[in-house]
Amino acid sequence: MSDFLQVLVLGLLLGGVYALMASGLTLLFGVMRIVNLAHAAFIIGAAYIAFFAFDKAGIDPLLSIAITMPVMFAIGVGVYLALFPRIEGSPRFGEMTVLMTFGLALIIEGLLTFFFTGIFRSTRPGYATQSVFIGDLFIPKGQLLALVVSVVLLLVLWAYLTFSRIGTAVRATMQNRSAAQIVGVNVRRISALSFGLGMALAGASGSMLSYLFPFFPSRHWQWVALLLSLIVLGGLGSLKGAVIGAVILSVAAAFVTDQFGPTWSPITFYLALFLIIMVRPQGLFGKAVRI
Amino acid sequence: MARTGITQRIGFDSVEPDTTKRLRPDAARRRFLLVVVIAVLALPLARPIIGSYNYVLQLGLITLMWIAITSSWNIIGGFAGYISLGHNVFFGIGGYASGMALAYWKWNPFMTAVIAGIIAVLVGLVFGLITLRARGPAFIISTIALLLLVGLWFDNWETAGGGSGLSLPLPQLSVQWLKVPFYYAMAILAIGSVYLSYRVAHSKFGLGLRALSQDETKAEVAGINTRWYKVIAFAMSGLFIGMAGAIFAYSLSYLRPTTFFEIGLAAQMVLMAIIGGRGTVAGPVIGAVLINAINEFSVVQFGATALNIVVTGGILLVALLFFPLGIVGSLREAGRLPAVLDWD
Repeated sequence: MSDFLQVLVLGLLLGGVYALMASGLTLLFGVMRIVNLAHAAFIIGAAYIAFFAFDKAGIDPLLSIAITMPVMFAIGVGVYLALFPRIEGSPRFGEMTVLMTFGLALIIEGLLTFFFTGIFRSTRPGYATQSVFIGDLFIPKGQLLALVVSVVLLLVLWAYLTFSRIGTAVRATMQNRSAAQIVGVNVRRISALSFGLGMALAGASGSMLSYLFPFFPSRHWQWVALLLSLIVLGGLGSLKGAVIGAVILSVAAAFVTDQFGPTWSPITFYLALFLIIMVRPQGLFGKAVRI
Repeated sequence: MARTGITQRIGFDSVEPDTTKRLRPDAARRRFLLVVVIAVLALPLARPIIGSYNYVLQLGLITLMWIAITSSWNIIGGFAGYISLGHNVFFGIGGYASGMALAYWKWNPFMTAVIAGIIAVLVGLVFGLITLRARGPAFIISTIALLLLVGLWFDNWETAGGGSGLSLPLPQLSVQWLKVPFYYAMAILAIGSVYLSYRVAHSKFGLGLRALSQDETKAEVAGINTRWYKVIAFAMSGLFIGMAGAIFAYSLSYLRPTTFFEIGLAAQMVLMAIIGGRGTVAGPVIGAVLINAINEFSVVQFGATALNIVVTGGILLVALLFFPLGIVGSLREAGRLPAVLDWD
């Protein structure tokens, strides 16, 4: 029983970080119908920023969020404006976004490998190796901190989207792009902003990934498949869905790891992604929006 | 008066000078292709006049391999419009099928390549039946998931060597002749797959694929069994890719999941097909030759660095943004496609 609880807790801890990582991806799809295959590549890129901030300047990875978020926001807005307005209205917009972000992911992967080589990296703040015990339960301190930060960021995001004027415009664009335009929302600007916001979330995720999971450039393919599985399960474009998908699959993966060993844990996500697309493409909560 | 109009038109179609006019580019094209095929087949005979023989043959056989692979990918990705980013699953399955038969039973991969191709087709049939329920971006994502799943499977399959791989014996040939059989095998595959692509493009089946790539619902209404058309196109595209995988694995004399199930390979297929012209017969061939030339040039210039991946991604982005029809498609649209390259 305590074993069961232990695995459950470890799964839930990671679920929070996964949810934060996936939130940006689902935001991009929700607002712009962009399937961003480069999302995890951006996260890994941010992880390198956190790594060098830690390595050269001794900045704690959790504090480096203050650097990675604005940097990635700026990159996001730039990438959006450079690439996506050109293909707006293209009859195969969805497919085009997949292929273009695929190309983008390759560029990022190549640049990261060229400058930082393919060797494993990770930041090592003190808390990454510490742990606390609650009764018999073993809780890694680093994952606990990451969970707290993730939940805070997700709550801020939720509040921003719900209560601010711009957040309302973002949600309006999500619901109906042309109707939003008619009532005076500058859709192009909201899209650029959302792309920046999604990338900022990727930046924060990267900072945390830097000490939670050792990384190297070509790792991002596995990550993007993992993130896609979370948001496809929860329903694309839904923030709530991303969180619930993350929790479900993270716990499932923890149990797979417990039963079959860590090498098989990614299969949870790949299989889930594959099966959900085949059986229920709109996800658990999605309306019948097909990607 | 309408009657004379019709008869005139029918009559005009069978008038002698018009047909000869249409035959002439045909003859030029046939001559051009014959010259190309003879040049490809004769290259290994030119041993005395080629400086670095093995290097040239290696370059040739890799290019021929990519022609075979990209032409095959084009059947589902181009004609049918279903972009697959997981097609190297076939490549890996073919490589492992032949490679394992060699490692365990000493069966010669030049013989078992055909079996490997057939296995790839069968696997494609099963996968196709499952994955082709999705379309558009969902299909693309499902093919990535498929690739990662199969890659993970081979990573953990001990009989196949697991993540560290399985080494294979090389053929008993002296070094200077070692590349020749591989070169000819790839040449046969390249010619075969381009021929298959040509036959598909000129068949009712190919017409159906093009129709469903435009509008699946309308194609269905027009009486095309879109589901089976797609599944068959998907499986068919596995044949030569599986065989190429078998030959390639033998030429490497090593089986390792990372060489076969790397998503970068799928990126190359997509890139070559898009650059050359998706959904045309000549496009993938031109794309394969061009991208291999660029790769070789950048390796010679900058060494084998990660910048190659940057170049791949960069070209893909530029092509998608500025000429999504590719070389053949853009030239045809402008009416400037040389007749010798118009194979459709």
